[in-house]
Amino acid sequence: MIADGSEDEEKWLAAGAAAFKQNAFYMQRAIDSNNLKDALKYSAQMLSELRTSKLSPHKYYDLYMRAFDELRKLEIFFMEETRRGCSVIELYELVQHAGNILPRLYLLCTAGSVYIKTKEAPAKEILKDLVEMCRGIQHPLRGLFLRSYLAQISRDKLPDIGSEYEGDADTVIDAVEFVLLNFTEMNKLWVRMQHQGPAREKERREKERGELRDLVGKNLHVLSQLEGVDLDMYRDTVLPRVLEQIVNCRDEIAQYYLIDCIIQVFPDEYHLQTLDVLLGACPQLQASVDIMTVLSRLMERLSNYAALNAEVLPYFLQVEAFSKLNNAIGKVIEAQEDMPILSAVTLYSSLLKFTLHVHPDRLDYADQVLGSCVKQLSGKGKIDDTRATKELVSLLSAPLEKYNDVVTALKLTNYPLVVEYLDTETKRIMATVIVRSIMKNNTLITTAEKVEALFELIKGIINDLDEPQGLEVDEDDFQEEQNSVALLIHMLYNDDPEEMFKIVNVLKKHFLTGGPKRLKFTIPPLVVSTLKLIRRLPVEGDNPFGKEASVTATKIFQFLNQIIEALPNVPSPDLAFRLYLQCAEAADKCDEEPIAYEFFTQAYILYEEEISDSKAQVTALQLIIGTLQRMQVFGVENRDTLTHKATGYAAKLLKKPDQCRAVYACSHLFWLEDRETIQDGERVLLCLKRALKIANSAQQVANTARGSTGSVTLFIEILNKYLYFYEKGVPQITVESVESLIKLIKNEESMPSDPSAESFFATTLEFMEFQKQKEGAIGERYQAIKV
Amino acid sequence: MEKTKLKIILLGDSGVGKTSLLKRYNDKDFKQLHNSTIYVDLVTKEICIAERQVILQIWDTAGQERFKSLPSRFYRDTDCCVLVYDVNTLKTFESIDNWHDEFIKQANPETPTKFPFVLMGNKTDVNNGKPRVVAKEIADQWCGSKGNIVYFETSAKAKINVEEAFLEIAKKALTNERQIDDMERYRSVVPTIEKETPRSRCSC
Repeated sequence: MIADGSEDEEKWLAAGAAAFKQNAFYMQRAIDSNNLKDALKYSAQMLSELRTSKLSPHKYYDLYMRAFDELRKLEIFFMEETRRGCSVIELYELVQHAGNILPRLYLLCTAGSVYIKTKEAPAKEILKDLVEMCRGIQHPLRGLFLRSYLAQISRDKLPDIGSEYEGDADTVIDAVEFVLLNFTEMNKLWVRMQHQGPAREKERREKERGELRDLVGKNLHVLSQLEGVDLDMYRDTVLPRVLEQIVNCRDEIAQYYLIDCIIQVFPDEYHLQTLDVLLGACPQLQASVDIMTVLSRLMERLSNYAALNAEVLPYFLQVEAFSKLNNAIGKVIEAQEDMPILSAVTLYSSLLKFTLHVHPDRLDYADQVLGSCVKQLSGKGKIDDTRATKELVSLLSAPLEKYNDVVTALKLTNYPLVVEYLDTETKRIMATVIVRSIMKNNTLITTAEKVEALFELIKGIINDLDEPQGLEVDEDDFQEEQNSVALLIHMLYNDDPEEMFKIVNVLKKHFLTGGPKRLKFTIPPLVVSTLKLIRRLPVEGDNPFGKEASVTATKIFQFLNQIIEALPNVPSPDLAFRLYLQCAEAADKCDEEPIAYEFFTQAYILYEEEISDSKAQVTALQLIIGTLQRMQVFGVENRDTLTHKATGYAAKLLKKPDQCRAVYACSHLFWLEDRETIQDGERVLLCLKRALKIANSAQQVANTARGSTGSVTLFIEILNKYLYFYEKGVPQITVESVESLIKLIKNEESMPSDPSAESFFATTLEFMEFQKQKEGAIGERYQAIKV
Repeated sequence: MEKTKLKIILLGDSGVGKTSLLKRYNDKDFKQLHNSTIYVDLVTKEICIAERQVILQIWDTAGQERFKSLPSRFYRDTDCCVLVYDVNTLKTFESIDNWHDEFIKQANPETPTKFPFVLMGNKTDVNNGKPRVVAKEIADQWCGSKGNIVYFETSAKAKINVEEAFLEIAKKALTNERQIDDMERYRSVVPTIEKETPRSRCSC
C-alpha cells in the first residue's frame, strides 16, 4: 500500500516515530536496569517500525536514523553485558529469537559488531554470517537500509591490513569479499525498486531511487579506502567484480551513477593502469546512459593528474592511454548512430584537453582528435545547438591556451576544418579569441605560409563572403574586432625583406577582398608595415652576392599604390590622401623621384576632387606644404610644378585668414637653408607680400563688419615670418621692409585692439630685443632694425 | 564502570577535510580522498578523560552540496558541534556562519549561547606557493563573537593539532553531558503509560 500523499506520509511518519519513541524509552529503561531480556524485547518492537511500507525513501531515512542512534546505545549495552559475564556467543544466539526477521537482523548486526570487537571469533567469519543472513530481507527499501546499517557498523571492523581485526595472509580478500558481496546485494535491491508499483509512478520512483544512490555508492568508497586494496587487488578483483555487477544490472540510473563513482573514488594511477578494462565496459552500458559525461570526467581526472604530476607522464605513454581513450570514444560514438552533436563534441573536447596535458609534444595526436571531430561533424551541416557551439569553441580554444602560441596551433591541419563548421557569429568569436591569443603572447607570425593559414582561421573577421547580405553586426563590436585585426598586422613580421614582402602580399589579397567596410581599418597598418619594410632593404651596390634582389623599392611602391587606391571608393579619401603623402616621403628617402612624383600627383588629385570641406582642405594643404618642403629628390622641373600647384591651392582657400596663412606657409617651399639650389629669395618675398595683401584685404572686411575694430594678428604672424627669413639671411628681406611692417602694425595697434594680438606683438618685440644681445651675425642683423 | 556516550558532529563545506580529520584521529593513515564524503559516516572511539571512560560517536557529514538536506534528526542529541573550514579557501570560512546557524536551528539546544562548539581551520600544511587566505586573527575574532568558541588550526595531512582538538572536543562534550536530561525528556513523552499493550503482529 502506497501513501496517498505527503500529508499522509507526515502522518505515518509521526505515528511511526511516536511508537518508535515509546519503545525506545522502554528499551532505555531496561538498559538502565541491566535487564537484557526486556531490552531485547523493546528494541525488537522499536525496530518493527522499520517494517512500514507507508513511507517514501526520504522519510524512511529519517526513521532509520532514529533507529541507528538508538542501536548505538544498545551496542554499548551489549558490550557491557559481555563484560558482566554474558557470553557474546550466547548473546549472538539470543538476538535471533526476535519474532520478525527485520528487527531480528538489525539486532543480529548489532550483536555481531560486539562479537567482532571481543575477538572471540575471526572478523571474517562473523561478517560472512551477517552478509549472508541479510539476504532474508528482499524488500528493496527495507533491505537497502538494513545492508546500509551493516556496512556502517562494519566499516571500522573490516579485517584490513593494519586493522586490529587483521586476519591471516588472505585477510584483504576477506575484507574485499565482504564489501563486494554487500555492494552487489544492495545494488540488486536498488535496481529492483524500479519495478515496485504502477507504471504511472515511474518518474517519482526514479527520483526516489536517486535519493538512495549514495547508500550503494558508499560501498565503493569503502573499498577505495581499504589499506589492502593496492593496484593488483583493484585490477584483479575489485574492478572486474564491480564492473560485472554494473554491466549486468542493465539499469540506466545505477550504471551511470556507479561507473562515475568508480572514477571518482579510486586513485588516478589505478585508472591509468586499468584503462582498457574500464573503457571496455562503456560500450556495454545501456544506450541511454550518459557515457559522454562519464568519459569526460575520466579524461578530466587523468588530465589533472598529468598536469600536477610530471613524473607520471612516462606511464601514460607506457599504457598507451591516448590510443585507448581515442578508440573507446570512437566505439562509443559508433555504437550510437544518433548521438547528439553536443555529446560527440564534448567527448572530443575532453580528449583534446587530455592530449594537450599528457602529450603536449605530440601535435599529431591533437590533430588526430580534431580530425575525428571533423568526421563526426561532416554530414551535420552547420551546428544549430548553442551548447554544442560553445563546446566547440572550448575545444578550439584549448590548443591556444595550452601552447600560448598560435604558430603551434597553425600546424594542426584539421583545426581550420573544425572552424568551418561554426556559424558566422561564432566564427567571429573564435577569430577574436585567436587574435587575442596572439596579442597576449606576443606571438610573431613569420612566414607568408603561416599568415595564409592564420587568415584562413580568422576569416570570420576578415571577410563577409559566407553571408553576402551579412548579419547586422553591432557597429561598436565591428570596430573593436577590426581594430584587433589592425593590431594583429604588426605581429606578422619577418626580418628578411623577401619573406616580409610575401607576407604583405598575402595580407593585401585578403584585405582587398574583405569588403569595403573593413578597408579603413586594415589598409593603414598595412601601409605602415610595408613602409617599414622599405627601410630594411639593402642599399643597392651593397649586395654581396651580386644577384638581383627579388624585392625592390619599385615593387614595393607599386604595391603601396595598389592598396591605397582602394581607399577613395570606401569612401575614405582623407585617409588615402595622408597615406599617399607618407609614401611620397618614403620614396623620397629611397631616391625614387618618379614614384614620389606619382604619389604627390595622386594626393593632389584627391585634394582637388574628394576633399571639399573647408576645414579639411586647410589641414590637407598644410600636410602638402610640410611634406613637399621636406622632399629632397625632386628635380627643378618637378618641384616647380608641385610648388606652383600648392601655392595655387593656397590662394583659392575659402576664407581670407586661411588663405593668408597658407600663402605665407608656402614661402618655406622656396628657401631651404641646407640646399643652395632651393634658395629663391624673390619667390619668398613674393609669397610674403601676397600674404600681406590678403591680410590687408581680410582686415578691411573685418573693419567693415565690426565698425572700426579688427584683428592685426595676421600681420604679426607675417612679421614673424619676415624675421625668420631675415635672420636666415634672405637678402630680399631688407631692414626697410621689416621696419615698414612694424610701423604698419603699430598704426593698427593705436586703435582699440585685441588683447591677445597686443600680447603677441609685445612678445615679438621682446624677442627682437633679445636677439640684439646675441653675438655674431644674428645680433648685428637685429641691431640694424629700429623699433 | 559505566561508560558515557557522547555524540559529536562535524559540519562544514565540502572539501575542507572533515573526513580526513576523522580518519587521522582514528589512527588510520592519511589517504588523499578524491571525492567528498558519500552520505553520513560514523566513527566510534573509546577514550579515557579524567579517569572516566567515554565513548565518542563522531558523525561525519556531507558537504555543501547537501546543505539543509540533512534530516533534523541527525542534529538532535548532539553533545558538541565541530565546525570545519579550509584556511586556504575563503568561501569555506564564510560558510561557517551558515553552518553554525543551521545547527542552532535544527538541534534547538536549550541554551544556544552556551552550547559547546569547536572551530577547526584545516589544511594549514598546504604549501602551493600562496599565502594562506584566512588569517588566524580573523578566525579568533569570529570565535569571540560567538561566545568564545575554541579554535584549533589543524592539518590532517601533517598531523597537526588533530589529537589535541578532539581531546578538547571530548571534554566540552562531557561537560555538556545530558544523560539525566534524556531520561526526563523520555518521561515527559509517555507520562501516562504504565503497562505495555502489545499489538498483534504477523509471525513472519
